[in-house]
Amino acid sequence: MKKLWLSLLGVAAAIGLATAAVPSATTQAADNSKTLKVGMEANYAPFNWTQNDASNGAVKIEGASGYANGYDVQMAKKMAKALGKKVVIVKMSWNGLQPALTSGKIDAIIAGMSPTAERRKAIDFTDTYYKSKLTIVVRKDSKWAKKTNINQFKNAKITAQLNTFHYEAISQLKGAIKESAMDDFPAMRVALESGVIDGYVSEVPEGITAKDANPNLTYLKFSNANGFKTNPEDTDLAIGVRKNSSLKAPMNEALSKISQKQRDTLMNNAVANQPSTTSTGNWLVNLLKQYGGMLLQGTGMTLLISLIGTIVGFLIGLLVGIIRTIPRPQTAGKRGLRAVINWLLAVYIEVFRGTPMIVQAAVLYYGAAQAFGINMDRTVAALVIVSINTGAYISEIIRGGITSVDAGQFEAAHALGFTHLQTMLKVILPQAIRNSLPAVTNEFIVNIKDTSVLSVISVSELFFSAETIAGQNFQFFHTYLVVSAIYLIMTFTISRLFRLVERHMAGPKNYNVMNNQMQVVTPKIG
Amino acid sequence: MTEPIIEVQNLKKVFGDHEVLTDINLTVNAGEIVSIIGRSGSGKSTLLRNINLLEQPTSGDILFHGNSVLAPDFDITHYRAKAGMVFQSFNLFNNLTVLENVVTPQVTVLKRDPAEAKQHALELLNTVNMDPFINAKPDQLSGGQKQRVAIARAEAMDPEVLLFDEPTSALDPEMVDDVLAAMSNLAHTGLTMIIVTHEMAFARDISDRVVFMNDGVIAEEGTPEQIFNAPHEEVTQAFLKRYLNRA
Repeated sequence: MKKLWLSLLGVAAAIGLATAAVPSATTQAADNSKTLKVGMEANYAPFNWTQNDASNGAVKIEGASGYANGYDVQMAKKMAKALGKKVVIVKMSWNGLQPALTSGKIDAIIAGMSPTAERRKAIDFTDTYYKSKLTIVVRKDSKWAKKTNINQFKNAKITAQLNTFHYEAISQLKGAIKESAMDDFPAMRVALESGVIDGYVSEVPEGITAKDANPNLTYLKFSNANGFKTNPEDTDLAIGVRKNSSLKAPMNEALSKISQKQRDTLMNNAVANQPSTTSTGNWLVNLLKQYGGMLLQGTGMTLLISLIGTIVGFLIGLLVGIIRTIPRPQTAGKRGLRAVINWLLAVYIEVFRGTPMIVQAAVLYYGAAQAFGINMDRTVAALVIVSINTGAYISEIIRGGITSVDAGQFEAAHALGFTHLQTMLKVILPQAIRNSLPAVTNEFIVNIKDTSVLSVISVSELFFSAETIAGQNFQFFHTYLVVSAIYLIMTFTISRLFRLVERHMAGPKNYNVMNNQMQVVTPKIG
Repeated sequence: MTEPIIEVQNLKKVFGDHEVLTDINLTVNAGEIVSIIGRSGSGKSTLLRNINLLEQPTSGDILFHGNSVLAPDFDITHYRAKAGMVFQSFNLFNNLTVLENVVTPQVTVLKRDPAEAKQHALELLNTVNMDPFINAKPDQLSGGQKQRVAIARAEAMDPEVLLFDEPTSALDPEMVDDVLAAMSNLAHTGLTMIIVTHEMAFARDISDRVVFMNDGVIAEEGTPEQIFNAPHEEVTQAFLKRYLNRA
């Protein structure tokens, strides 16, 4: 048992070191820093996408394995050059962009974002850097492919991306059925191809991309009179910056020097350079060859977060277990202190068990930055959230384990003069841990799967990698099939490993005292 | 050797509305062996558990070498190490082997050197004939074997007082003798023993003094001869009747 405690201590120390070794929290992106941190989805070709190498002027994505490229990336490079700064591309989900900007995690949003009045309430925008036009992407073989007027979409099932003016523009399609908004374009393309929807509202460059990527799709060209009535504020794409940012003026000046012709060239290059999705040969081999590294890295990240999260959560659980079983002290002051601590622990457990981890992650990562200016590393935030969250669950699991230990064990230890801590460490916890091991295994497995929600703070774990890959190759089924196999291999291995540990802790089963008394070796005395 | 080691003064213990100990006064001298007998529910075990502070007295006092164990600055941990306890249900540590059960408390509480503690443990396990089982887990032992290990565990702390809480009540009849023999070996070695028991013959043979408890008070106390052969009180006579008739 001593060995177990030593190894637990060792693990704890290792975690401490690992946490210290993780690059310290990124410094608050300031207007006067040497870098220009630009946020984008890197999943919205031809404006921005993720690729595996630095070809065609792509830029390395901060804190991840891939490179970003596209119209937005090229524009970001031009802006950085004009400002005399180094460009840094930060990949994050669409809904994470605005909070990341206001909380100072990035300096600018160049992500095909339109300066709507609503957004202007929270952030500032530069002048237009691209002017686009709305279109509808449909299946080539459907009757909608021949429409030339937006009034011809009676009973068509139409959707668009969540939180965009595209979605509001669906109301202009008379008689069309407005489906629920979707998260990203790859998902809409799949929905369209599978017939869940008849079309989605998008902008022309995205339409061109969709058509190139998938020969079954096409986009519609409307004349100005028959097309969508749009607000320039919407179709104009602008660079988002913080309110009153000193970056706005120099950026506007730089933009004014980029002619319409240059912009068209940039867009044409982007459309031409975007990742091709056609492939030949075995899909699995291709997938692994092209994205094996990304999958491996995602798997590693998932394992790291869930392993450390479970171990730290386990230690938290033990600590809470020790504290909550402290016997009622004699003096009123200590009794009061104990009551306060127990109440705090109960609040901790209820809060972290009672709210979704995805919400906790968003609150910690964005909230801490926005409210207190604390800017923490994504991976650190992920480790903290998973650990604290797991700790809340394991505290209750350990409590159950402690309750199931016979009261006589406590009494014997106390009667021998053990302190509470000694009683817990030497006698109670070893038994409680054994009782709770199956439930702890469960927590570990849940963690492996639940780290997928951390994509909300752009942690590049396995699910986030899968989303990125599927967004590039459009092979949703194949990609997610491979990823589910990886998840299954991880969880299955872990459940087997823990079964072995359990068996080891239970001790040998074939030790029959009554029959082999004489075979037990008696050490010599003296 | 008439120096008092444990003095119980006006001890009262209440569980909710139920008064288990009404007013207990008992002085035990160093080296003395005192047996406490009485009906189930008369408060014998509760008295023992109060002496060891496993239960907190409602009122009254308990003195150890003349010092109140209830005083705020009293070193309870040290006191418990000096006043060992043997339980009816053995309470061996299930996660530890027989040897570890005897070694760990010495190392943890008395800060004894592990090698020395092991040596001590092996000697004591030898005297209770449990040395062939040092690597067994408690689950693999019979009740009598467990109780003998528990006695060795309590002894290993070099206590001044040992409290026995019905040590043979949970045992099969054929196991009882081994345990009683182990206890007899301890008697009159200078160790003070307070034994709650239903083994009347044993109590008569081993004790210097016998205490009869009834309804939360000490109804009668005296030498074994006096209590077993010529009890004064009616309740004592009634309780011992069955036993006396049989003997």
